[in-house]
Amino acid sequence: MGTTYVARPPDTIRALFTIDSNDTVLRSTVLMTRNQNKTIILLVSYMKSFGTSPSGNAFLIILSLAIGVAPNTLAAERLTAPDFEREIAPIIVRRCLECHQDRDPSGRLVLTTRSSMLKGGRGGPAIVSGDSEESYLISRITSGEMPPEIKGVQQHLPDNEITLLRRWIQAGAPWPEQRTLDLFEATTDVRGGRDWWSLQPVIEAEPPTMNRADLVENPIDAFVLAALEQADLEPAPLASKRNQIRRIYYDVIGLPPTYEQVNEFVSDEREDAWERVVDELLNSPQFGERWARHWLDLVRFAETSGYERDQVKTNAWRYRDWVVNALNDDMPYDRFVLEQLAGDELPDRSEQTVIATGFMRLGTWNDEPNDAQDYKYERLEDLVHVTSSAFLGLTVKCARCHDHKFDPILQEDYYRIAATFWPGPIEPRDANLLGGPTVSELGYENILGWTDLTGSPPPIHLLKQGKRDKPGEIVEAGSLSAVAALFKSFDPPPAEATSTTRRLQLARWIIDKKNPLTARVLVNRIWQHHFGAGLVRTPNNFGFRGDLPTHPGLLDWLASEIVRGGWRMKPIHKQLLMSRTYRQSVAHPRHDEYQLRNASNKLLWRSERRRLDAEALRDSMLLVTGELDESRGGPSFRSTVNSNALKGLSRKDAAWQASPMSQQRRRSLYMFSQRSLLLPFMTSFNFSDTISPCGRRDVTISPTQALALLNNSFSHDRSTALANRVIESAAANPAEKVRMTWRISLGRMPTSREEQLSLNHLDEQRERFKEGETDPQSEFLALASLCHVLLNSNEFIFVD
Amino acid sequence: MKKNQSFPCGLTRRELVWDMGAGFAGLALTSLLSKDGFFTRQAFANAEGPQNPLAPRPQHFPAKATSVIFLMMNGAPSQVDTFDYKPELEKYAGLTMPEDKSYINSGGRKVGYLTPAWRNFHPGGESGLLISDYFPNLRKHADKLCVINSCHTDSHAHGSALVAMNTGKTFIGRPSLGSWCTYGLGTENQSLPGYVVMLDKRGGPISGEPNWSSGFMPSTFSGTLFRPIGDPILDLKGPKHMTREAQRSQIDFLAKINEEHLSSLPGRQELVSRVDSYELAYRMQAEAPEAVDITKETPETLSMYGIGQEPTDEFGRNCLVARRLVERGVRFVQLYSGGGHLEETWDAHESIEKNHGQHGAEVDQPIAALLTDLVQRGMLEETLVVWGGEFGRMPFSEGKDAPGRNHNPYGFTMWLAGAGVRGGMQYGKTDELGFEAVENKVHLHDIHATILHLLGLDHEELTYFHQGRKESLTDVGGGVIRDVIL
Repeated sequence: MGTTYVARPPDTIRALFTIDSNDTVLRSTVLMTRNQNKTIILLVSYMKSFGTSPSGNAFLIILSLAIGVAPNTLAAERLTAPDFEREIAPIIVRRCLECHQDRDPSGRLVLTTRSSMLKGGRGGPAIVSGDSEESYLISRITSGEMPPEIKGVQQHLPDNEITLLRRWIQAGAPWPEQRTLDLFEATTDVRGGRDWWSLQPVIEAEPPTMNRADLVENPIDAFVLAALEQADLEPAPLASKRNQIRRIYYDVIGLPPTYEQVNEFVSDEREDAWERVVDELLNSPQFGERWARHWLDLVRFAETSGYERDQVKTNAWRYRDWVVNALNDDMPYDRFVLEQLAGDELPDRSEQTVIATGFMRLGTWNDEPNDAQDYKYERLEDLVHVTSSAFLGLTVKCARCHDHKFDPILQEDYYRIAATFWPGPIEPRDANLLGGPTVSELGYENILGWTDLTGSPPPIHLLKQGKRDKPGEIVEAGSLSAVAALFKSFDPPPAEATSTTRRLQLARWIIDKKNPLTARVLVNRIWQHHFGAGLVRTPNNFGFRGDLPTHPGLLDWLASEIVRGGWRMKPIHKQLLMSRTYRQSVAHPRHDEYQLRNASNKLLWRSERRRLDAEALRDSMLLVTGELDESRGGPSFRSTVNSNALKGLSRKDAAWQASPMSQQRRRSLYMFSQRSLLLPFMTSFNFSDTISPCGRRDVTISPTQALALLNNSFSHDRSTALANRVIESAAANPAEKVRMTWRISLGRMPTSREEQLSLNHLDEQRERFKEGETDPQSEFLALASLCHVLLNSNEFIFVD
Repeated sequence: MKKNQSFPCGLTRRELVWDMGAGFAGLALTSLLSKDGFFTRQAFANAEGPQNPLAPRPQHFPAKATSVIFLMMNGAPSQVDTFDYKPELEKYAGLTMPEDKSYINSGGRKVGYLTPAWRNFHPGGESGLLISDYFPNLRKHADKLCVINSCHTDSHAHGSALVAMNTGKTFIGRPSLGSWCTYGLGTENQSLPGYVVMLDKRGGPISGEPNWSSGFMPSTFSGTLFRPIGDPILDLKGPKHMTREAQRSQIDFLAKINEEHLSSLPGRQELVSRVDSYELAYRMQAEAPEAVDITKETPETLSMYGIGQEPTDEFGRNCLVARRLVERGVRFVQLYSGGGHLEETWDAHESIEKNHGQHGAEVDQPIAALLTDLVQRGMLEETLVVWGGEFGRMPFSEGKDAPGRNHNPYGFTMWLAGAGVRGGMQYGKTDELGFEAVENKVHLHDIHATILHLLGLDHEELTYFHQGRKESLTDVGGGVIRDVIL
């Protein structure tokens, strides 16, 4: 269990901080109750990350300084009326409103206003002003019936809260004029409110001024260093130049540098050597191929429908190419969002912008749902989910059947967003359309796209408990109420319109410069893919159940930067890559000590070691053997699949037809992904599941991966090809061959010990393969064996 | 606070996973909110040192079952022809369904007339459970079976119903039952996969891989397809010249260069863990083929399972291999009877007698043998055997004199046997026609909750945090069927 520090400020509230194993503050909360009976925490506040602490005491000191804590117990009860806003409202909101608000109030009792309290519910008035002992509210609470238990756990109010409520009633239950309490108005210990940090405007702050010029290349370093200094930590030294260049190659283009490229950089003494590499890579077309994949994960990209027939979506690849091109052209992100959500509704609509609406067509699609009418709502959920998680980092889908349990997202909000997709091809139709519009509706041939089928769709009802047979009120398309400042219903389209423009308006709301989520979510994703973890480590969830930002100031500064820069992403990439923080080493001279103080490295005192993802691994293997086919775009190739893996398919008539080998050496981005049959080699290295939006892939290490790299024919074919390449390099003797193998596969020369070990391996395997006397190629096979081992090595698959 | 103890609250998913894979810390995979309010109860013993995500973990509470064999009757057997005897159907034979019974006519097929069971029922064992002549051998084990006649599910279509039976929901993308079990308990034998699926050689189930996928969990927890003959899993062998000795040399050499690589690197648990994974893989190469090598079994055993005879050879082999896997510590084994489509599965639209006659004959003797074998080895007490399809079939035919039956998600039968389950028991009822569950209704979530419970896992506690929500197999529904548990 982590350690919980309870600090007791003098003024009734207490702070409770949860510290993860030896490092940073996970959640900081203000507690309004006693701690004995374990009723915990209120008001999660948006606050700066505290530093680390070598010990609990030291931490408490930091904490004391930070919030002015004095070791004290609650002030003695006063006889005056408690302060409503500070002492009473939070209790009612936290303890009562989940059930006793306007929507389906439990026992018909609404506790949001004074008058509704006096009116009461089935059990009569909740309070009798001036007489707490006669108040039903108090008797239900003191009897332990309210709040009701949750999953067998008592939810008794702590004594001090009961005392406060009693005193408040005794004093005449004073309640500010016109004040209506709202479950979502403020964050509590159990849910986020509209004051949740990610819903607040982005703060345009100046980077801190640091006086360590040697450690600050740009503002990013200033933010990072400020947090490190606060925790009394030093950043790691710079990584070796070899590691730096290998890291940036993988991050930006997903391929390793060659030996020559490494050496050129290592020996480049020019001031701007690093910047040259940064620019060159960001301008390489391979940049888009690498980064498009991150986006494809988010939008659950695959090229078939899933389910029984798993129909091919013939033109899904055009969407993939659209993403690659958009990233390579540095299309501003606002435009990137607009085209995907509303490319068909834009005044300057074109074939390309309609291709972008494939965004709405990439999900699974079941041609034989249990109930075709119910299935419409499943499809809406998919669309709401992908939209809100990809662009907003919110889990709006959780509000489909009831208000969101943790975030200030109402059920109406869910339907407001769902209503934007409602006029599209949602109704059950000809299965051959795979859930999309016809060519004439779309206006283009051979495009996987989306468009409204009418300018005046039927109304959409909120469904109580998510059930179709319990329709509630009609909901107008609109934005999320959680972003209160921008909250609006969308305008109706012009009378003659064939499209509702709801998606266009949704997109415009998302890219509104005042939308606090969009830019934060975006820069966090960019950060994550360069640094291994985001500033918010739950990239698809900026809500209550997500992580708090490790560097809130930095996150907001980057968010402001990207908006100031006209939503162009490449300058942000460049900022991150130019920072010293990016270039620091994985190793730190005080590693063991720091590891105890900040194990999660949330303060960025070193870089993160990373395992290659499935694509980078496969592509690297093809690259070092010289086989990689770098042709770009177009229809995907189908990989050879082991016949045993094919047995999982139910349909023999849909038998897998692998592409000719000559096409199978393209980058993994171009590998056809069929939902019922993802390539085992890729999935074992944690390829995304293609069904729900994936903001961050798992990283596992398993014997299945070892088996794949040891035995799969793809792996052996690469070893053979690498051996051939070594031989073609005209290496004359075993030692030269060894050196050439290392140099090609790992981009460096072996040490003398590594060389010796390699020579021993060659000898051993050559003798062994000779023994069989069946294979005259023992020399070659031994070399292939060496190649095989290097392609299996930790150095090959990890990036430092 | 112990330095090496993990604190899961607030860890992101990836860090949990990373910790699991790389073994920085102990595991803490259940609910992020504990019963006593807010903090996580650490559900799993926190072993010292590196751990892998499949390392065995203690149950939430003591329970008998340590492994599961799920006999999946792909295509959906008819309840009224097998385990749910409805004499009234004889009375009403030839009549149409009463008009007050509403249902979805799956696939818009012809709706015919109420039709009694195609084969006779007879009591079995001391309990006298009624089982039809499609399962004469299994009937001898009646006293071990807990027959649940009141199952119902959420879809009438194979694709989504199969996925529902396997993952709890009708749409693809969620972790399957076997994934939840291995996620909750790990597995006993690290040289074999913890969750094995064996398909019918006629093909896979409709919807394919999502039926044994780990969904949003790491792929570590997904089912591994196993073949009962030869190399059971993918990538067990390289090219011919790469003998076991040659590969040993590779792995030793690999370990040495990895050692050179990590000697200068701090924070290297993930590197070490990867070195270990090669040793594990190497052992798996030997143990997996050994697990399917039934040549060491006695001729009596082989013949008991019907191996070497038709039509029992294939399923008999699978059942025997399932026993061998469970014996070797595999947590969850699922066997498919029926593969591909229509009559190649239990999907008896054409003819119950022909279809169930064939598929029943394929599985009856092997399943009976499996139960006998498990008892003889004292394994049934710790092994839970589950039998069932993705839904049931209608009590009426598909037209005049048409001998088949259409899909029915409203009422069907599954049975449990073994660890902690009451034998010789019939639980729940369908209406007099065998059409819909009416008494002690059991939703597939209840089946799942009960299976987890028998393994010592609380279906509400066994959660996985995903995209802002604590996900569980049974989601917001499901309850343990207490009455069927000893």
